[in-house]
Amino acid sequence: MSLAAIEQARSGAWLEDPGFGVYVHIPFCRHRCHYCDFNTYEAQEDLHQRYVDALVGEVERSSGSDRPATSVFFGGGTPTLLPARSLARILQAVRNAVNVEAGAEITIEANPETVDEPMFEALLEAGFDRVSIGIQSLAPRVLEGLGREHSAARAVGAIRAARSAGAMDVNADLIYGSPWESSSDWRASLQGVIAEQPDHISAYALTVEEGTPLATLVRTSRIPDVDPDVQADRYEVAQELLAEAGYWRYEISNWARPGRASRHNVLYWSAGDYFGFGAGAHAHFGGRRAWTIRLPRSFASAVEEGRSTEAGSECLGPDQRAGEALMLGLRLTSGVDTAAFGRRFGPGLASRGPALEALETGGLLERRGGWLRLSSRSTLVANEVLCRLL
Amino acid sequence: MDQAHQRAFAVISHVDHGKSTLSDRLLQLTKTVNERDMREQYLDRMDLERERGITIKAAAVRMEYEAADGEVYELNLIDTPGHVDFGYEVSRSLAACEGVLLLVDAAQGIEAQTLTNLYLAVDAGLEVIPVLNKIDLPAAQPEKYAQEIAGLIGCDPSDIYRISAKTGEGVAELLEAIVSHIPPPSGDPDAPLRALVFDSYYDIYRGVVAYIRIVDGSLRAREPIRFLATGVDAEADEIGIMAPDATPIKSLATGEVGYLIAGIKEVVQAKVGDTVTTKAAGAQVQALAGYREPKPMVFAGIYPVEGDDFPLLRDALEKLKLNDAALTYEPESSGALGFGFRCGFLGLLHMEIVRERLEREFGLELIATAPSVAYEIELSNGERRVVRNPTDMPDPGTINEISEPFVSIMVVTPSEYVGTIMQLCQERRGELKEMHYLSPERVELRYHTPLGEIIFDFFDQLKSRTKGYASLDYEPVGLQPANLVKVDVLLNGQPVDAFSTIVHREKAYTYGKTMTERLRKLIPRQFFDVPIQAAIGSRVIARETVKAKRKDVLAKCYGGDITRKRKLLEKQKEGKRRMKQIGSVEVPQSAFIEALRLDQEVKAP
Repeated sequence: MSLAAIEQARSGAWLEDPGFGVYVHIPFCRHRCHYCDFNTYEAQEDLHQRYVDALVGEVERSSGSDRPATSVFFGGGTPTLLPARSLARILQAVRNAVNVEAGAEITIEANPETVDEPMFEALLEAGFDRVSIGIQSLAPRVLEGLGREHSAARAVGAIRAARSAGAMDVNADLIYGSPWESSSDWRASLQGVIAEQPDHISAYALTVEEGTPLATLVRTSRIPDVDPDVQADRYEVAQELLAEAGYWRYEISNWARPGRASRHNVLYWSAGDYFGFGAGAHAHFGGRRAWTIRLPRSFASAVEEGRSTEAGSECLGPDQRAGEALMLGLRLTSGVDTAAFGRRFGPGLASRGPALEALETGGLLERRGGWLRLSSRSTLVANEVLCRLL
Repeated sequence: MDQAHQRAFAVISHVDHGKSTLSDRLLQLTKTVNERDMREQYLDRMDLERERGITIKAAAVRMEYEAADGEVYELNLIDTPGHVDFGYEVSRSLAACEGVLLLVDAAQGIEAQTLTNLYLAVDAGLEVIPVLNKIDLPAAQPEKYAQEIAGLIGCDPSDIYRISAKTGEGVAELLEAIVSHIPPPSGDPDAPLRALVFDSYYDIYRGVVAYIRIVDGSLRAREPIRFLATGVDAEADEIGIMAPDATPIKSLATGEVGYLIAGIKEVVQAKVGDTVTTKAAGAQVQALAGYREPKPMVFAGIYPVEGDDFPLLRDALEKLKLNDAALTYEPESSGALGFGFRCGFLGLLHMEIVRERLEREFGLELIATAPSVAYEIELSNGERRVVRNPTDMPDPGTINEISEPFVSIMVVTPSEYVGTIMQLCQERRGELKEMHYLSPERVELRYHTPLGEIIFDFFDQLKSRTKGYASLDYEPVGLQPANLVKVDVLLNGQPVDAFSTIVHREKAYTYGKTMTERLRKLIPRQFFDVPIQAAIGSRVIARETVKAKRKDVLAKCYGGDITRKRKLLEKQKEGKRRMKQIGSVEVPQSAFIEALRLDQEVKAP
């Protein structure tokens, strides 16, 4: 891939050719946070090594791909709960199976309490070049409420450790709008993180997911539910402070310094293709979406016994693909390149003419130089727009 | 049987005052039903069996009774509908009688509806035999209630029969009284046939069964007949008597009571109050007095909750109409509720009954708009117009005067609740017409009040404010001009038809405020601020705002799980599909239904 192509990819704009990605799932955490409904499991240390072996086995037996991979993403869970050498081994297996191109973005998620400078050095040594750190907040009461195990200082320390270890790209994840957070908590968290000058900041509104301890607290009125109006206020503060600090919002929840958008992220939003390895991992190829067995133990057994790990799949029709691609692409600030969209998804836009027109007339969508995008008014109520285009 | 040996009577009574038990005793003592076949509540059970198609309705029962004088008499017990909305039907049943038994629970005293029917009977010149029932009850106070009744009908308390229908005590004496006090019919057996239809219903196997009293002349089976009011010609396929089972006979003579089956398919062709004559006599015969077209008084839009059920609702109304001459319906459509029917009912209870039958017998889930009455509008150009649906109200600028139907309501209550009831009636713009102490403890109150004021929750209020002791009856007394206005409810400037209503000007603000507040809680937030206004014409009287939705976006995508994200949005999209569009505002139908439901706590008295 040319330098120009890489630059284009990292601008954060929608891509006609989103490249190809690999997602690797590490379904373990030392402790499950109160809001989390991801596919992750506490403890099970006895399972870690077995899972790593299975994961490597899964990668090795996969059909592989000659298509050059432009990004690899290790997510979780807490990937950094595993020793660096295990992570290195998995990454090497991926490299053996898939043609990971030079200059590809290779990200690993990390939780502050699991990392230090030597850990980052080992990860960089293994080939990871982008670390995404779960900071979430710098306010102690918010961290406690969310059930995070690290302090604010440890979070800041993690960013610094990644930097001094030489990480090319550092992302800080933040969560806003939790019931424990005041407006000044949020401002302070943003300012504290901005001061560490990460390359990329993701800020997610706290969502109360069914089945989580947080949902139970809300249902039993022990804490108030999240207030969408408060979250909207917080979002506006984030946009204001981050823009001021030179971060460009390229997607609804993602900000980056110029040229530092996450390629893997953009791949998702551009409806690209990706492999998914590991328990409960999702993959996508040309309209076929598939996912694997969620329980790590069952996943490992399947690999060990030579069975398929696929738990389910769906094949989207052409129009459904187009709708989904719009749902994803319009989340990007750039919106979608309508001509390129037509080349990729056929008459998907034309067939939505009346809906698009109504949304444009209502000021919720706008067209600029052949690109179709959300208006500033509709960014925060994107669901209202997107569900009309499915 | 010759006229001198015929008696026709009805029992005027309140629910639970013992009419069914008394009927049982009469059937037994006259040996109309033999001991082996006797069951409790015999006639009521026949009604249930009729509903299941086993037997036909016993709207009148013939009994043969050998009196103390050694003569055999033919006694016809004529049933009266026991519902507040069926005053006209009661009057026709009474018109088929020469006398009534006024049956009053000796532990409760007379109730409003009984009182109304008593007045009807007295006005019709019928012989009234006062009876206190349940004297065997420990709580019975026959002396007290005898005073009450004596005061009402002007008899001596000692003339009042005291019975226990349950034990049979005093019933034999009552039978004698029926023979001796109630006069025989006085029709002319040689005149052309005139028979009064006092009840009719549709039977799925037999078609319409009409119950008739032969006033003059006689009717033979197979004779060609004519219904004078409807002009329907038919043939008397079968005539018969209920004794208590349907028994076909060859002819009915002057004064006799029986049923008539004439191959008629809808009750609207054989209406209550109509006169039956022979086809031959048709042109010369004068119809019996007192016939009235059934006139709906209360109107409401009825809509299926599921729009797909519209054809089912139409079929169900068609079926009910076969058996209900008073029910009217015509299709209408509402921006908020979709397609439905504007239905007309005799009154509130009739509306409740129809709605319940539609839901129960036809499995429909329904929503009704707030009930309305028929307003008469006089336009400034002199034109007069009847408005049954508030959305049809002409522009206020073109209206000279609006008149609304008034009713005379009668409440019988323990005297301690008089103040409470007066307050309630005043709130409903009632005007006190009469207050009459039946006894020191019980009062009869008469008010004139707009019908529109009692069709919401008046019955409920009356019951709850008097711990259930007050009873109510009402009858229409014509139209009166009133200071009425139409209040519209607007969403983002667009009127929502289902919430338009016609109210007295003084109540417009309360209505507007209630509805706007209620809708603010029910209408989901949109992209933009949605003003909810209540307005009289262009003047806004109440306003609320549904603040614009500020955040509705999924935060992130979990490890490439796009499927989940799409499903969430598909769910949201599905929700949108079920929304109604009022201008640019999307409202789930459930919000409208919820807002209307809050008004529908109207229950039968």
